[in-house]
Amino acid sequence: MNYKIVLTGKLLDDTSLEGAIESLATMFRIPSEKAEKTFARAPITIKKSVDEATGKKYKMALAKKGIECTLEVLEQRVLAEDVVQPDTSVTASVQNEQLVEGVATDSPISSVAAVSPENTANSQHEEFKHDNADPLLGYQFQFEGRPDYGFVTVKIPADETLKVEASAMATMDTNIKMKTKLGGGFSRFLTGESLFINEYTAEGGQGEVGIAPASPGDIGHMFLNDETIYLQNSAYVASTAGVEVETKWQGLTKGFFSGENLFLIRCKGKGDLWFNTYGAMIELDVDDGYVVDTGNIVAFTEGLEYSISKVGGYKSLFFSGEGFVCRFSGKGKIWLQTRGVDAFASWVHPFRPVKNKG
Amino acid sequence: MKSEIRGGKAFSYVDIELQPDEVLVAEPDTMSSMDASIDLTAGFNGGFFRGLLRKFLGGESLFISYFKNETKQGRKITLTQNTPGEIRCVELKGNSMCFQPGAFIAMTEGVKLGLKWAGLVSFIAREGLFKLEVSGNGKVWYGAYGALIDKEIDGEYIIDTSHIVAYEPGIKLKLQLAGGIFSSFFGGEGLVTRVEGKGKVVVQTRSISGLTSWINPKLY
Repeated sequence: MNYKIVLTGKLLDDTSLEGAIESLATMFRIPSEKAEKTFARAPITIKKSVDEATGKKYKMALAKKGIECTLEVLEQRVLAEDVVQPDTSVTASVQNEQLVEGVATDSPISSVAAVSPENTANSQHEEFKHDNADPLLGYQFQFEGRPDYGFVTVKIPADETLKVEASAMATMDTNIKMKTKLGGGFSRFLTGESLFINEYTAEGGQGEVGIAPASPGDIGHMFLNDETIYLQNSAYVASTAGVEVETKWQGLTKGFFSGENLFLIRCKGKGDLWFNTYGAMIELDVDDGYVVDTGNIVAFTEGLEYSISKVGGYKSLFFSGEGFVCRFSGKGKIWLQTRGVDAFASWVHPFRPVKNKG
Repeated sequence: MKSEIRGGKAFSYVDIELQPDEVLVAEPDTMSSMDASIDLTAGFNGGFFRGLLRKFLGGESLFISYFKNETKQGRKITLTQNTPGEIRCVELKGNSMCFQPGAFIAMTEGVKLGLKWAGLVSFIAREGLFKLEVSGNGKVWYGAYGALIDKEIDGEYIIDTSHIVAYEPGIKLKLQLAGGIFSSFFGGEGLVTRVEGKGKVVVQTRSISGLTSWINPKLY
């Protein structure tokens, strides 16, 4: 179910009109004249196609500033033109701007369930849904095929660029131009990842790129707001121009010696980041300590300290089959995958035909 | 004929109830279980020569299986596909649909399975010289590795060659480089297909080349 957020124009608890205009302007990062105009035209739809949770978040954030708004159910097949926009330039600027604190207090991670293709088979091509938790953040995109074979279609605004993991592009508009760049420096070569990241630029107008990650599994999105995220080497899918992607060398004991080649990619800056998992995805808040098998780590936030160690003594290292684990401490978030590629490889390996090398 | 697709997107299968005297035509090795009283006959896929053509040029098998219910009650049969991934059903009402090799699973009796020249482009893209075209009236089941999504095409669009599963006959396929010479070979995209026209294209969200590039470095 989609909702639209309607600004009623009423103010709560003696909020002055000037104050409300000012809050609206800072909140949506628009000039105060535009905010004033928006107020003058109230009641007016300020945001369309949001899910219920996002809508409520907006409503609460706006109410805190003394601005009343209502949530209304959006007709399923409403076309973009049907909704009154405050001002086209307002929406345009809003689209790529970050949010104020207050709205973005929650994690920027999308936790919205995937749009199931069965229910929306007829409508999904008419209306490009925002699947991200907060439509004000970053590019528009749509998830499909989750959770087994997650696929993301990203709309790139005119003349903007999207970085995509090499050979992950599945579909694209004809006005998208592809350029291959040496991404992440030479060190990315060491991580077993492709040395190349492709850049897709929407020339002369908006265009979309459909991205299919290599491994079976889920796909996730986060909006980095001057934050840093560490991704396990094969989890990177795509990112927008504001996100810097580089390999972080963990040192001999943490990375290489761990035997599980846990190499990390550091993504920092401001923008969208998409990542994938092999298996299902688990999102966890870590408060104290947490132990994760190195093969199951997908990503974690910067605030976490980690060290690689074995679970028990040397006896359990060889006989329990657990091998090395990653011990996290501090406060932050981690994303886990429910399967590990090394485990899969060792399961399937005995059944593979062996070539006689003569 | 009642049918239902179950098992999610990862491991779809089709439950079909054959009514008395109904016939189901399926690719060999897609039947996973059935009532013991259903009769199975194998036949050449549209005659010996056409069957041969299909096998060697259309990427399908020489034989095809006919499942017939000669009892007086409904009987159950379950179909699967070789790859993990989604199965879908399309109901034809006089229209037709083209399939990439390997996508076709089964059909009801009123559907005609034809072979059409796909052109050299398709051959270079390693998708075979011929394409399968189903037409007529009835249900057709098809599937591929990954989840399946619909793309409504009106004009031009680019799809990585290994991701196309099926398309309506109004769509034309052309081959082109993904980017410049350098990008196309080092960017891992290589050749892509430019689809032109108006109609629906079914896209699979995973490809076998993606799977192999993911798992091969881990196998020694």
